[in-house]
Amino acid sequence: MNRPVAAPDTRDIEIERKRLTDALAETWKTPSGIWGALATVDHKIIGRRYIVTAFVFLGLGGVLAALMRIQLAQPEARLLGPDRYNQIFTMHGANMMFLFAVPVMEAVAVYLVPLMVGTRNIAFPRLNAFSYWIYLAGGTLLWTAFALDMGPDVGWFAYVPLSGPQYGAGKRADIWAQMITFTEISALAVAVELVVTIFKQRTPGMTLDRIPVFVWAMLVTSFLVIMAMPAIVLASTSLILDRLVGTHFFNPAEGGDVLLWQHLFWFFGHPEVYIIFLPAAGMVSTMIEPFARRPAFGYLGLVMALIATGILAFGLWVHHMFVAGLPRLGDSFFTASSMAIAIPAGIQVFCWLATLWDGRLVFKTPLLFIIGFIVTFVIGGLTGVMVASVPFDTQVHDTYFVVAHFHYVLIGGAVFPLLAAIHYWFPKLTGRMLNEALGQWSFWLIFVGFNATFFPMHILGLEGMPRRVYTYQPDLPWHGLNLFISLSAVILIAGFLLFFINAFRSARVGEVARDNPWDAPTLEWATTSPPPSYNFPMIPVVGSLHPLWDDRDSLAVANGLRTDRRELVVTTLAAAEPQAREASPRNSIWPLWAAIATTIMLIWSMFSPWAVVWGSVPVAVALMGWFWPKGTPEDES
Amino acid sequence: MRLDPPIADALDKIALMPNRIGGAPPNVYFVLGRPYEVNAYNLSQGKRLYAWFGCKSCHGDGRGGSGPGFLDGWWSYGPEMVSIFASIRDGRPHGMPAFGDKMTTDQIWQLAGYVQTIGSYEGKTAAPSRNDEKQTRPAENRAPAKLLFDEGPTPVHRDQGPTP
Ligand code: HEM
Ligand SMILES: [Cu+2]
Repeated sequence: MNRPVAAPDTRDIEIERKRLTDALAETWKTPSGIWGALATVDHKIIGRRYIVTAFVFLGLGGVLAALMRIQLAQPEARLLGPDRYNQIFTMHGANMMFLFAVPVMEAVAVYLVPLMVGTRNIAFPRLNAFSYWIYLAGGTLLWTAFALDMGPDVGWFAYVPLSGPQYGAGKRADIWAQMITFTEISALAVAVELVVTIFKQRTPGMTLDRIPVFVWAMLVTSFLVIMAMPAIVLASTSLILDRLVGTHFFNPAEGGDVLLWQHLFWFFGHPEVYIIFLPAAGMVSTMIEPFARRPAFGYLGLVMALIATGILAFGLWVHHMFVAGLPRLGDSFFTASSMAIAIPAGIQVFCWLATLWDGRLVFKTPLLFIIGFIVTFVIGGLTGVMVASVPFDTQVHDTYFVVAHFHYVLIGGAVFPLLAAIHYWFPKLTGRMLNEALGQWSFWLIFVGFNATFFPMHILGLEGMPRRVYTYQPDLPWHGLNLFISLSAVILIAGFLLFFINAFRSARVGEVARDNPWDAPTLEWATTSPPPSYNFPMIPVVGSLHPLWDDRDSLAVANGLRTDRRELVVTTLAAAEPQAREASPRNSIWPLWAAIATTIMLIWSMFSPWAVVWGSVPVAVALMGWFWPKGTPEDES
Repeated sequence: MRLDPPIADALDKIALMPNRIGGAPPNVYFVLGRPYEVNAYNLSQGKRLYAWFGCKSCHGDGRGGSGPGFLDGWWSYGPEMVSIFASIRDGRPHGMPAFGDKMTTDQIWQLAGYVQTIGSYEGKTAAPSRNDEKQTRPAENRAPAKLLFDEGPTPVHRDQGPTP
């Protein structure tokens, strides 16, 4: 053992600065080497990994999109047959939703939330490590299956009976359902960590009305995850049971119900789109401040809009089922509730516009993406209100109009803010700035390419082109627009490529970033870029919503934390008054073992129900190892 | 998507024994990687064709009717793909019609692959599962015929060996 830099129970205030940072670095470090990398529980390392992995999945999903667009560029193309095309659009949708969009938002939060609330690590850091490994395993499962020609082919929402035992061939739908299980576990884990971090680990002084909007957004999102995921757990488990052990949840002839699937899926699926959108909205509200050089207009309105959206999100799911033949009155109710969600969305848009209106704008790449987001998201929202109306939806259901609509809200509403966020927080993530010229180029390519690709899809939809078709006949009036769309997709993809190149290059040779390069007001900019393993040498104390603007010269700090063991401040829920010093777990390899054991059990259980019995033994062993006292100073309470 | 005509032609050229039982599929079948036995999409298409072309009217849900059953694993012309393919394409005596002029070669192969799984002695991961109907028999992916050849403590057929 190394000699500890600080004697037991040395408090931060008792030693001078240099020895303090040395002691903290020793206590919080991630040892170099492969073992250190596998065992780390540092939220920054895990968050970075999570983000990179999610972007790899974005790239892979983009390759599939490109293949679809090549196939559809002309009628009767022979690049892809129906089987392969079914697999590809399902893989694209499932990958983008479950392996990219949801995880990437959580990933950014895993990295940023502890910094923004001024603490040293996320709550339950080992669970956090576990969550990443499970996510990686789920993604690997899906893509390996696809490589083996066993990719799911039932669409990203896997409706029965198509995905059921009768029509869902082989193990393909099981792969889909089990991939969902992996992402459920990892998402639930992160949601619980974030709720606890935000409720109990905010730095002293960060009362509820001083929480950055992005952190509020992640809090609401985490509750959505916790409340929506059980529905899909139920659905995917029932599906696997129907397929593997011959239960009849979805078999009407034996008393099951096909519509049950749609209800369960969309009770999760609609909140899912807000699980993707709310973090993005929070990012925008937070990023807009340094680029408008003023506080965001209407903090209370922004936060209330997030919460209102979160609640309403659970009352809309039937708008995905308007053509399923439900009672008229039910349809009308869900039309009304779907249109009502435009109100909180509108409040946020007007708050952002007011902020920009009154601001002194700094036109850097993140602001460009924010403006691009507002424009695109509003268009997507308008078509959203259109499809919320039953007669209209009956016409365009399952046509390219819907494909256009959801790409406007998903890419415009979530990917644009995410790209803004990557440009904005890149210095905090890597210590270097992204290249501004390349950033602006990639913005314009993506913005123009995106609209040219997806706007014409509205028209194709109105002309009757159904979604999920692998080809169309030459005598249909669709080929001109399809060719135009495929050519425009080249521009869009070029923009994404440029972004990836920029990120690669800048991570190595980009301009070195200062601590607070944008002169931003929130706490993550109070530490170095990138932050040290312990985040802050002394825990900052905040007295306002914009600590780095209001207390420019010196930030108050709290003291009294031990330096020889990992310790955090726990504060009260509303007023954030210090309550206790709490130990934070050290690095551990056990989350990895637990994830491997869980992976074996879940994959095995696609083939035999007994896997759940025998497979749970290694899981239990791994959990025991995980919780076994290790005799570290953190064990003393 | 229709097969390329040359491939479809080649797939049609099976080599049957003189008694029209057993034989060898064309080379291209192996070059393609036995797609009609291992690819789940083809098997599930076969299952649909089984319903669409009315196979049920004689063979029932696989247990047979006026035509022989498949579920028991006893094949009058052997369990090979080529025999099943030939039965469907050219028909057989005692009432099995020829479907060669009603389906494409691709579809006949898909159907043959599916019918083989009904009377299969081994569970296949690529095989379809039970129907969304009243349950009358074990599903295809559970190798229903295997049970009949199980010599365990209480064999279904005492007098029959472990294989057909
Ligand atoms: C790189 C740019 C993208 C292009 C060119 C693109 C293109 C397409 C195309 C052509 C389809 C299939 C249409 C069909 O055959 O029905 C599709 C479906 C879909 N896309 Fe994208 N897409 C892109 C990015 C994304 C992103 C970033 C997301 C989510 C965050 C996403 C989510 C979906 C979903 C959920 C589906 C539906 C899949 C299904 O029908 O099951 N796409 N996309
Ligand atoms: Cu919805």
